[in-house]
Amino acid sequence: MSLVEFLQIWIIAFFTLSLFSFLYKDNPFYKLAEHIFAGLSAGYYVGLIWESVILQQMIDPMFNNGKWWLVFPGILGVLMFSRFSKNYSWISRISLAFVMGTTAGIFLVSELHGKVLPQIQATMKSLDPSQGFAGFILALIIIVGVISTLIYFYFSKEHKGALGGVAKVGIWFIMISFGAHFGYTVMARISLLIGRVQFLIDDWGGSIVQLFS
Amino acid sequence: MVVSFFFRAEGSFLGRIEPEILSWVTIVGGFTLLLGVVSIVRVNYTAVKRKADGWGYKLATLISVFVIAIPAMLPTGWSDQFGRGDGSIYKWLFNYLDAPMMATMFAMLAFYIASAAFRAFRARNAEATLLLITAIIVMLWRVPMGEEFLLSIHPDIPGWINTYIMGGANLAVQRGIIIGAALGAAAMALRIMLGIERTYMGK
Amino acid sequence: MGEVLAYIGLVIVGVFLLYKTFKTDDRRYIYLAVGIFVIFPFFIPLDIPVIVSPETQQLYDAVEALPDSSTVLLTFDYYASALPETEPMSRAALHHLFRKDCKVVTLTTIPLGGPSISEDVTREMAEIYGKEYGIDFVNLGYKANYVAVLKGMGSVIDIIYPTDNSGTPLSEIPMMKDIKNYSDIDFIYVVSDNGIVDYWMSIVNAQYQIEVGCGVTAVMAPKYYAYIGSGQMTGLLGGMKGAAEYERLIGKKDEATKGMGAQSLVHLFIIFSVLAGNIIFFFERRKRFNQAGGAR
Repeated sequence: MSLVEFLQIWIIAFFTLSLFSFLYKDNPFYKLAEHIFAGLSAGYYVGLIWESVILQQMIDPMFNNGKWWLVFPGILGVLMFSRFSKNYSWISRISLAFVMGTTAGIFLVSELHGKVLPQIQATMKSLDPSQGFAGFILALIIIVGVISTLIYFYFSKEHKGALGGVAKVGIWFIMISFGAHFGYTVMARISLLIGRVQFLIDDWGGSIVQLFS
Repeated sequence: MVVSFFFRAEGSFLGRIEPEILSWVTIVGGFTLLLGVVSIVRVNYTAVKRKADGWGYKLATLISVFVIAIPAMLPTGWSDQFGRGDGSIYKWLFNYLDAPMMATMFAMLAFYIASAAFRAFRARNAEATLLLITAIIVMLWRVPMGEEFLLSIHPDIPGWINTYIMGGANLAVQRGIIIGAALGAAAMALRIMLGIERTYMGK
Repeated sequence: MGEVLAYIGLVIVGVFLLYKTFKTDDRRYIYLAVGIFVIFPFFIPLDIPVIVSPETQQLYDAVEALPDSSTVLLTFDYYASALPETEPMSRAALHHLFRKDCKVVTLTTIPLGGPSISEDVTREMAEIYGKEYGIDFVNLGYKANYVAVLKGMGSVIDIIYPTDNSGTPLSEIPMMKDIKNYSDIDFIYVVSDNGIVDYWMSIVNAQYQIEVGCGVTAVMAPKYYAYIGSGQMTGLLGGMKGAAEYERLIGKKDEATKGMGAQSLVHLFIIFSVLAGNIIFFFERRKRFNQAGGAR
């Protein structure tokens, strides 16, 4: 391990432990690390957007390929910054309307065509007689679950009578799903901790062993 | 975008204009991210100027923004340490400071979720009990040691959990949520297109 | 024998720390317990076989069924925060794809980290398999507004991505000469830690009929069973366990498999904590009930 690698590992370890120190109690090391982290993350965007968007998507095609019209999205982008002015913040609405309009156009189609229809179709198709008794039970769970969940989230009518009964079934299904979510969330959070512990033991621990060997 | 979905004619005017408009949206999207950065810089600069509480930390944030951003924007022709490539200051700061710190921030959630599980995850009523039992079953099933344990009880249990809990009840609920949310998003898109919905403009 | 005693000791420490948390109401004891349970298997390893789930098998089979030298789009749609879960998936996918001599196009729709991570991981894996940049793999990098990126690439990739990540025009990259839009891509392998997966399904899969397989963080995995059930998604890796399953299938036990021991122990500890918390809750409630004279 070279001196540079050694120092790099110790820098990572220092900031990792500084952040973990918050678990004991709030302290200046944690605060410093947290603020540096926020600053670096914001600065990372600047470098990325400068090269990936401004240079690669605008400047290069404009000057090397003659795509002069790319000046327009550039102007729309710059107009966004008018939000910082009290008098001229309305100008940013032009850019916002352009982005929102395009996104709405994509969503109107994709949400219905790519989500609602295939999901409804799959629910109906689950009642396939060739799947046998176990398949029928599963199809029943899915159909009852989908309908009762949709009814639970339907707030335009008070949940009373038959509607209330179905919504109650919906709650049970939702609780099962949220329980599964919780189980998976625990797994996700532990995985992230394992990643940091792997670094501290393998890399940082390795560097300490090397220091004393 | 809606019309081009139904008449996707390659080579036609519409076929050419659609990707062009989309590339414009990606460019404007880039500027939107910069807007966020400018906002962070303004807030922190004001706090430092006024010597508000913790202004020293905010100064560290400001310095960090410029330390990573400025070298990234300078031409690589001047030095290998500029730009975003291998050996650049930008990449070094990301790999050895920003990425590990981001990972650590989220790793801390493991401690909080364990604490919450012990202190707040209670079977107070039938619904909460159902949630708790499912969570325990799934937690057990999703790790090799737990799966081995379930297999030792009955070899089909892991399969049943995957089929009837995850691929049955859970799938049904997620499907209901996806259908509901997608209908909502499509309705919102239509409202925006018809000019009924203007809250995104601050109206 | 020594290992068994060590694990018995660990259980005693865990129970003691839970007891201290309960008595003092100081959550730092339970934090300490979690820390000990995570660290422990790194010193005294637990070797438990990883059982492959049908969803992981489906993704593996789909990639395996691709003809050699197919073109695959591999996405790095994740922040550095999710690296322990997602990076092993990307590595395992690249092992599999490079082994099959697939042409790999990588990109990211995540601004914070994605571009750097995709560049580093892909180049490192390519070196192992002797793959050449521009011939066997290309990194397109990042462009903002993922909805527009995903939709735009369906028509012409080089309008959205005029250059690769380092600024070389796509027209100068040999591999990209035959890849103009989604119709030139055989499979999309999404590795993600956020809701972008929905748009890979609803925009790309639904409108361009390309098979999309996904590796996602565990938090997201339950949601995507809906897309597996509808046949829109071709295989799903759920969190670190999913990555470990894929590692097993490709025969490369790596970081995810190594993490399974700690994952198992902490899960068992948390299950025990939940049960212990509820037993305490039950007895406390009964005590309160009795003190109130058996009536509420």
